[in-house]
Amino acid sequence: MEKGGAESSIACARCGKPASLQCPKCAQLKLLREGAAFCTQDCFKEAWSSHKSVHIKLDALTLQQTPEGWQYCLKKGRTRTSQLPRFDWTGPLRPYPISKMCVVPDKIEKPDWALDGTPKIEPDSDLQKRVEIKTPEQIERMRETCRIAREVLDAAARIIKPGITTDEIDRVVHEETVARGGYPSPLNYHFFPKSCCTSVNEVICHGIPDARKLEDGDIVNVDVTVYYKGVHGDLNETYFVGNVDEASKQLVRCTYECLDKAIAIVKPGVRFREVGEIINRHASMSGLSVVKSYCGHGIGELFHCAPNIPHYSRNKAVGIMKAGQTFTIEPMINTGVWHDRLWPDEWTAVTADGKRSAQFEHTLLVTETGVEVLTARLPSSPDVFPWLKP
Amino acid sequence: MEDDDECPPLAVELSPEKPYSPPPLGPSAASPVGVTVITGYLGAGKSTLVNYILSAQHGKRIAVILNEFGEEIGVERAMINEGQGGALVEEWVELANGCVCCTVKHSLVQALEQLVQRKERMDHILLETTGLADPAPLVSILWLDDQLESSIKLDSIITVIDAKNFRLQIDEHNKSSSFPEAFHQIAFADVVILNKIDLVEGSLEDLERQIHEVNALVTVVQSVRCQVDLNKIFDQQAYGAKNSSQLQELLEYSKSVPPNLRHDNSISTLCICEQDPISLSKVESWLEDLLWERKLDMDIYRCKGILHVHNSDQVHTLQAVREVYEVLPAREWSKTESRTNKIVVIGRNLDINILQDSFSRCKH
Repeated sequence: MEKGGAESSIACARCGKPASLQCPKCAQLKLLREGAAFCTQDCFKEAWSSHKSVHIKLDALTLQQTPEGWQYCLKKGRTRTSQLPRFDWTGPLRPYPISKMCVVPDKIEKPDWALDGTPKIEPDSDLQKRVEIKTPEQIERMRETCRIAREVLDAAARIIKPGITTDEIDRVVHEETVARGGYPSPLNYHFFPKSCCTSVNEVICHGIPDARKLEDGDIVNVDVTVYYKGVHGDLNETYFVGNVDEASKQLVRCTYECLDKAIAIVKPGVRFREVGEIINRHASMSGLSVVKSYCGHGIGELFHCAPNIPHYSRNKAVGIMKAGQTFTIEPMINTGVWHDRLWPDEWTAVTADGKRSAQFEHTLLVTETGVEVLTARLPSSPDVFPWLKP
Repeated sequence: MEDDDECPPLAVELSPEKPYSPPPLGPSAASPVGVTVITGYLGAGKSTLVNYILSAQHGKRIAVILNEFGEEIGVERAMINEGQGGALVEEWVELANGCVCCTVKHSLVQALEQLVQRKERMDHILLETTGLADPAPLVSILWLDDQLESSIKLDSIITVIDAKNFRLQIDEHNKSSSFPEAFHQIAFADVVILNKIDLVEGSLEDLERQIHEVNALVTVVQSVRCQVDLNKIFDQQAYGAKNSSQLQELLEYSKSVPPNLRHDNSISTLCICEQDPISLSKVESWLEDLLWERKLDMDIYRCKGILHVHNSDQVHTLQAVREVYEVLPAREWSKTESRTNKIVVIGRNLDINILQDSFSRCKH
């Protein structure tokens, strides 16, 4: 949009002249005004037979995707509702009803929030105040767990295409995790209702998998954390759905590079606060913004613990990297402003301006000489990032 | 679904697209709302101070959060004075149940931001803490990075002291090596309200001197029943680069305090100076050795300073509370002032020679 112009510069969807009217249904549904704007009632009338299919499609999606037991999520997962909640949606995306929580077999070791949604050990642990140096035995367990998490994420990546619902992605994550003997860490973590997070387009993070079908041109982040042998492994990647526009490709690639450059500085003696300088510099050079509300975190026997590693510059994070520490770095980079809003489900964070956001995350181990990326891509990982081709 | 698919509805006027508005948190264009933390032991008069602030005719809209640290009950009470002649309003501030989930801001900060957002106008927030021995963790929660553009900002820590009890503790401290409870809170305070002075016989000067021996930078306000000039306790802006001039005045004053000659484990203030320009990266490493790695075996509570940085025409300010520190450019050096480094350190087991020597090695 041209900020300075007082007039709307949107063109009539039918004839291309400057538009001053819009479809009332589209306005009501808060759909994008591009493609739903017209210069006169006559133009609108002429376009109606083809334009109305947009509504029909949306209505059909809404109806189709509400089988028995599927409802909208509220209160961080504590409650459900059958009505789409009211909210000043910042972009075109909407929540869809979600299915019931997946079941984890009894034989699988579970974290202490699996049963009632409330972590017991984590909030008051001493590890919230000091950064743990992992023992060789803990590190070995983390290698195994992170490898499983990588395999699970790759399985999710393989099924992504237009028409797949994010609920189906969640089911694959759940089944692949359980099949390897793991528990999906997000499941019932502070009441989170699903086994992974799927964050589409303007969703920054913590998107709840639901009945929405991925559409051609979407980008979707899948965030997997696996709990296995008493430790967690956490990673995420942002994928392209079908044919994606150039700006979104640049966003995703730059975000990948932000994480890559941040990882490159990880070694003993580096301040945690330096990570944000690296990420901010690279994102800013590409005209993108860094989300400031969320940060990297320590990980191990706890899902989240010290250190907090902000991704923005000039932060006051305390501490220096030491061999044996494990933590995540997970920059979220936006095409517009960095501010976020929380959806009525109280989990899904979206950009305040409705523009797109991308994220990548790895679990890292600080070694004596540098870093080991515990959740690194495997030779078998799906070939989904064009810039990685040799 | 449209019953009449054949006939299109009337198109409505195209609504102008709203350009992205400022962040949702906080009143638009307003500066952040100051948050004051009130500490003090049972009986010192904190509740009296709170009641005074809530009932005094000061024309400010002030929220008081009553918080029982140690009992994370998830809901806190907020008493709000609606200003001149306004009614007292009680609200509940919902705290998320400690859900971390990679969030930068603590749930307390998010709750305070929501409170500010709900009100058309909020002039200040007081956080009364009961049973909080060490305010440092609370400071690290509330002292936010400027980058976050929060609608709240930590303003100061106020400690209320019962003057009569304090005198008894000082007398006991002088007789033996017992450690006055109040010293710890004084060390972290920006303002000390010396309350109940009407119950103290004799001079108050020695009490103030004792307070300044612990923390040379603190402002002492004497009071009876905590009736104080609110301008002396609000808008201190003790955290941040904006009030470097006031910081310089405090640093000048601190030099006049004679060094503590006792070699016990007392909490005390030391001032170190260096005329030559310093290397910023060396100072940061020095601070990290001191505050994070504790290589010099000193227990540092707070640091404040101004720095003369090599190759810069700007005064840099240093602020630290326990491990959290920040060095920021504050303003240009004026032509008339002499450029110098001055740092005040408050803590236990302080050794001025070690501090001075190690800091001098930060010269460019």
